Order: sequence, then C-alpha cells, then structure tokens
Amino acid sequence: MRTGAARGQQGHFHEAGFYRSDAEFRDLIVPFAEEGIAAGEPVIIGYDDRKNALVSSWLTDPSAVTFLADTSLYATPSRAIATYRRLLEFHAARGAGQIRITGELPHPGNGGSFEGWDRYEAAVNTVWDDFPVWGLCLYDTVTAPAAVLAVAARTHPSIVSPSGIHRANDRFQDGREFEALPFAPDPLEQTRPMIEQVDRSAAEARQALAQIGRGRVADAALEDLAIGVTVAVSNALVHGRGPVTVRFWATPDRIVITVHDQGPGPADPLAGLVPTPANSAQPGLGLWLIHQLDIDVAHKQADDGFTVRLRGGTTIG
Amino acid sequence: MIGPVESPRGFGLQDHMCWVHGDGRDYRPRLTEFFSEGLARGLQVAYLGAGRVEELREHLDRFIDVGPLLTGADVRIISFDEIYRAGEPVVPAEVMEKYAAVTQEALASGYQGLRISADVTDLVRAPEHQDAFARFEFLLERYSSRNPLSALCEYRLELGAAVTQFACMHAAVPAGLTPFQVFACDDGAVGLLGDFDVACQAAFKRALQSIQPAPDESTLIFDMSAVRFMDHRALLALDSYAQQCQVPVLVRSMPPVVRRVARVLGLEHLGSVRTGGSG
Repeated sequence: MRTGAARGQQGHFHEAGFYRSDAEFRDLIVPFAEEGIAAGEPVIIGYDDRKNALVSSWLTDPSAVTFLADTSLYATPSRAIATYRRLLEFHAARGAGQIRITGELPHPGNGGSFEGWDRYEAAVNTVWDDFPVWGLCLYDTVTAPAAVLAVAARTHPSIVSPSGIHRANDRFQDGREFEALPFAPDPLEQTRPMIEQVDRSAAEARQALAQIGRGRVADAALEDLAIGVTVAVSNALVHGRGPVTVRFWATPDRIVITVHDQGPGPADPLAGLVPTPANSAQPGLGLWLIHQLDIDVAHKQADDGFTVRLRGGTTIG
Repeated sequence: MIGPVESPRGFGLQDHMCWVHGDGRDYRPRLTEFFSEGLARGLQVAYLGAGRVEELREHLDRFIDVGPLLTGADVRIISFDEIYRAGEPVVPAEVMEKYAAVTQEALASGYQGLRISADVTDLVRAPEHQDAFARFEFLLERYSSRNPLSALCEYRLELGAAVTQFACMHAAVPAGLTPFQVFACDDGAVGLLGDFDVACQAAFKRALQSIQPAPDESTLIFDMSAVRFMDHRALLALDSYAQQCQVPVLVRSMPPVVRRVARVLGLEHLGSVRTGGSG
C-alpha cells in the first residue's frame, strides 16, 4: 500500500522539486519525510552534511529516517543506481509498502560535475520499476546551471512545488527518446594522441595502454582502463561499424582513451546504466560493467559515429 | 615447455606441442629435429600415420633423416588403424589408454620415454569428429604433463580456424597461432594462459567443453597465474562451465585485473582458492 502522492502508482514514482531557499527546501522535504515516517515507510535522505543537518533539525523524529552521508554514493551514475538498488532490495525484502528516497545530484552549483547524471535521471524512470519507490530529486534553482534544470524538467514525470502541489510534468521525455547532453571534450582530446590504432584487436589496445600507462596512474586505475578499453573495442568490433579507432593520450598523472566507430552506437540511450543480470551474456553487460569501475566513462552518439571515452588518474573538470 | 614457442627445439620428456604446416615440406625439418633430439635423449620415437606400417616406414625414411638409427627399434612406426577407429570420432579415454600402453612399452624396453608425432589433420577433418578429438588432446596434454610422453601434433593449414580448437589444448604452440591456451599443471590443475577476450570468445567456450575432470578427481582447479587478461564474457563462460561441471570448480591465482571483473559481476566465488601465485 503506497501513501501520499505516489498512491496507486506502480514502480518508481520519480518526482522533481525546485527550491530557491532553505525555507522552500524545507517545505519540499519535510512533508515528504514526515508522511513517510507516519506511514512506517523507510525514508532515505542523501544530501551534503549541511543539508542533512538541516533536515535532521526539522524532523520530529530524525532517528526514524536514514541519512546517507557517504558522498561516494554519487561517484558515478551507474554505481549510484546499483547502490540504491541494493538498498531497495533490502527494504522490499523486509516488506516495505513504499520506499522514499530523496537526494541531490552533483552539478557545478554544488561543487560537482553533472556529466553523465542526465542519463541517470532518465534511467531511473525504469531501472527501479521492480520496487515501490518514490524518488524525490530536489534542485536548487539558485546554484544549479540552467542546463541542469532543463534536464531535470524533462526527466521527471511528476513535479512538486514548495506549496505542496503535485502535478504531472508535460515536458517529460520518455527514456527511449531521451537525448543525452553532449559531454565536454577533454582538453587532451584536442592534442595529438600518443598512440592511435585503427582496426586493431582489444589485446593490442591493452598492450598500448600498458606501454604508455605504467607509472602515470595507480595500478588499480590501469586495470580499470584495461577492462574499459577491452569492452569498448570489443563492442565496436562486434556491434559497431568500422573503422574502429582507438586513441590514447597521457599526462604524467592522467590517461584518456577514446574508442570510436562509425556506427550509431547502442539503440538504448541509457545503455550502460541499466544493470544487466550477471548470469547472462546479453549485450549491454560490458558497458554496464565499465560504468561500475573507478574510471570516468562517457559516451557520445554523433553524426560521425559512436565514441566511448575513458579517463583514469587525476580527475579534471 | 608452456606457452607460445618460436621453434620446435629443446623439448623435454613431457612436452605436448602443436604445430601447423601448409605442406609436408614444412613439417619435415621440424619432425627431423624433434625426433633427432628425442633419440639423443634416449627416447623411443614413434611416427604415426594412415596406411600400412611398411609404407609409413618407407615414407618416413624418405621424409626425414635421423641417421642410421632410423631402421632400428628406436624408431617405431604405428598405423592410425592400431590407435583410431576408421571413420569414427575418437573415443578419447580409449585412445589415451593406447598411447599410455605404448609409452609403458618404451619404458619397459629401457628407453627414457616415448616421443610421438603425426599429422592428424585427416582425423579431424569431419566437423562432427572435432569435439571428441579436442577432448582427446586435453587428455594427452594431461598425460604428457605427468608421464614421459612427448608429442608433436601436426595440423594442416587447410583446416582454417578449426585449428585453434586443437592448438589451444597444447602446452606449447607456435607464437601467434592462438591467443589463449589450456595446459596441464604438474599438480593436476588446469592451467589457462594468454588473453581471453572477444577474439577467442567462441573458441574458449568450445575449449571448456573439452575439459573434463578425471574419474578420480573430486575438484577441478583452474590455475590463472599465466592469464594476461580475461574479459567478462570469458569469466561468465567459465562460471557457466563451473555450474554444469559434475565436480566443484575452483580458480586459483586469479590476476588482480580478472578479480576486479569477477567482483563487479558477483563471481568472486570462482576465485576462492588461495594457493600459489597471487591467489
């Protein structure tokens, strides 16, 4: 039995709220949490320390909710999906009638990068549909860039206002038609690559990586990049359209790799974010796998083909 | 010798090597070298082929020159008819027993062991015979790792990509023939070597089907210390093999990069044996 605005909904009830002040933030989050506490539903709150403390001070019984203070939760979109999924499985197994989750995604306004999170917002409309979850994403309109707010406006089927009115969002864009934001090119991509390979095997790409990588980034990052370039090259060779071009750049503490083919890329715009059962070798598992690693992974679908970019080492941007 | 090799020289008493040739002229110097070295090491050598023994001996006489010993008992000629059933897929255990018996005869006659070679292309030409022959190659690989039997198995290039299925079941193969190999470790574990990725996805799955635990084995252990890389597809294939195998399958010495993939896929259970290597 689901309560509140999500009553009668199936799967993930994904809602956005926009606020301009702490007072509006309070007006959005307090009813959401209190209503859940009153109904005995698990309530999971994941903001930065300051906002978590504010919410804690506003609630009648903060011990009744779970605060996620671990900022690594939002390290990468697909890992956030996987982490939340485990939480949802845990609560669903305990018989929760509804699970309420609220949080704020990283973007330049709160000191993070929004890159990849547009696809996350689109993906979570379907990936948690096995669970009775109400996800409330709150955006600070003062700090969030316009592009971020525009993504929020087309990825949430429902919108709640600080005055407490829930309405269907007529600007919502279905996941299958979702158009991801283009990722900003890495400055290194504008320079001549250290190594360029055309139509070579995944093993040759790993050899090139080993050749340029040692000593620049930690072994763990090199391993993740080897896994990443293997998946990207394999997918390009199997599913893409040649020629397959792999380019490597390196600075003393960073490695950037792009794998490009002339095909259209995966038909599913959310490929890589959606967990695929590990016991099946269906397509998409590789992309999902590399999104779980400790490297930056981005895709670009453009007129000239499909590119996977992998970055390891010191983060920039 | 284990891994890709550049030449057929320097093989020991317990080696299992695969080689590929376009025509007989390529095989000739290799066989000469392989047999000459074996004779020098006090081994009995045996040449196998299709046809009658006398014809085969005559053919070998013209084919290679290993000196005056050629006509003596040191060089044995065995017709395929003695070992294989004509026109049928091999029965791996039965054929292995025959080779084991010939090895024991060599030892009983005072030799240090047996060294064999044959061009087996005709035995595997029929696609429906290939899986059984690959299973036999795996048995031979295991036997030769523990007994003084060294073998040079020759395949002809005309088999095309099918050669990989057999080549990968040898501890020693010419460099560049197959990206991965399955070999027998001294302690009975099944060694995996090389790169396991999209380039050999189907071949590895097929190779796994050729690996069967011996009747007296209660566990099958895969040793990954010689694995350079294994992608998620190969790991899933190994996991699926493990689930179907009649005895528990465990993996040891999983390299960190493979363990990383296993962990993300939730396949850590595969790498739970922590003996040797980096565990």
